[in-house]
Amino acid sequence: MRSNAGVIAVTVIALFLGVAAVTQIKAQDVYSRSLELETPASLTTLIANLSERNNAVKDEMLDLRRRTETARDAIASGTGSLTEAERQLSQLRVFAGMSAVSGAGITVRVDGSFDERALSDLVNELRNAGAEAISVNNARVGPRSWFGATADRALTVDAVAVRGPWQVRAVGSPEVMYVAMTRTGGIIGQFELIYKGTRFDVSKDSALDLPALSTPLR
Amino acid sequence: MCDTFHVTATRSTERTRLGQSLVLLLPALLFGLLVSVQWRTQSERNELTVRYNTPLLDAAKTLQNEQSALKLQLADLRAELDRIQSSASTQSGAAKDLQARIDQLKVVAGLNERTGDGVVITLDDARGSSAAKDIEKSICHNTDLTDIVNQAWRGGAEAIAVNEERIVGSSSIYCVGSTIMVNGTLMSPPFSVLVIGPQNELLSAYDDPTQLRDIKQRRDVYGLGFRVSRAGGLRVPPYRGALNVRYATPR
Repeated sequence: MRSNAGVIAVTVIALFLGVAAVTQIKAQDVYSRSLELETPASLTTLIANLSERNNAVKDEMLDLRRRTETARDAIASGTGSLTEAERQLSQLRVFAGMSAVSGAGITVRVDGSFDERALSDLVNELRNAGAEAISVNNARVGPRSWFGATADRALTVDAVAVRGPWQVRAVGSPEVMYVAMTRTGGIIGQFELIYKGTRFDVSKDSALDLPALSTPLR
Repeated sequence: MCDTFHVTATRSTERTRLGQSLVLLLPALLFGLLVSVQWRTQSERNELTVRYNTPLLDAAKTLQNEQSALKLQLADLRAELDRIQSSASTQSGAAKDLQARIDQLKVVAGLNERTGDGVVITLDDARGSSAAKDIEKSICHNTDLTDIVNQAWRGGAEAIAVNEERIVGSSSIYCVGSTIMVNGTLMSPPFSVLVIGPQNELLSAYDDPTQLRDIKQRRDVYGLGFRVSRAGGLRVPPYRGALNVRYATPR
């Protein structure tokens, strides 16, 4: 019967179009990015990272509240708030890489072939693990530092050549940074797979001395 | 799609019968959608993921919301301390001098909003059929962003923000699974990198064929979204996170 044939035809077409529509959506978004699709392992890492950051903000809030009180008291008693201003200045100078610093941290030694993108990734990883100050050999890495390479296989930090073997030093929590670098599947493990023959050593240090940026930021 | 149906309908001479057929059209279409969606969902999620994800997702979202609230409170506290400081700095010359140095450092450290001309870089996962060839190469990774930021500093950038997060000395562009985190803020593509700085130098840094070769090749072969354009009147927000100076002491 013609009518049935028509119904079947339209149904088949509609079914086909329905499938095609979804396939189309899928093709446009080949890789779906949403928290909902993350694995439990990734979500757990994210949660640990977020809560660490929230705690850092909370710590700083406590610190700021205390400093605000002290500054208020100082002004009320007529002694002024020079102490608080000096403290703020000193904190900002460290944060901006403008002062040489000392402190506990870790050292990553890289001996062998390496490149500027890997160095940039390493610095990124150290920052994520809470590094407060970083240097590569004798060059301090500042807020606007960039990494490059020279024709004769040296790396550069802000256009200044640094030659291997490299010592990347970072001031911050030695335990947190050490684990972040050396954990299974972490950045050092990945480097060892990619840069075969290059030696990577990570050590905790109780006292590191890092230089200030050689050219202060404008 | 709607046009196709319309053409089919007008060609028919038996309009009433076709009307009946059309009644079936919507359910059939829905059924088709349902079958496909079902097939997709099953293929992408295993049982373990389904069982543990709900509480983990809730926890992650709660922490992210908490962080946004905390950052606002932190900004208020900073502003309050600044107010006390600046009212006190009218007292003496030494205090005034200190305050001026603090203000200048805040600018270079990224704690103030910056406005100016520069370039905007957009980065996005490839969309369309060429992307299916190699997913890894057709989506953007956190290392693409670190390369783009590195190139901006090389080109003389003064201030950078990635999707409204200011890049400062402590910033990292971190990747977990397919989620990217900048200054503790979760984000996903498309990315918009705002760079304030000398436009010509920045543009030639990005045009340099020896730089960002991997990104450019993936754009050409797999359709990765990567575009650099000149832009005026950019507004880059201040850094809103913790300053976190606990282990480092100035020498």
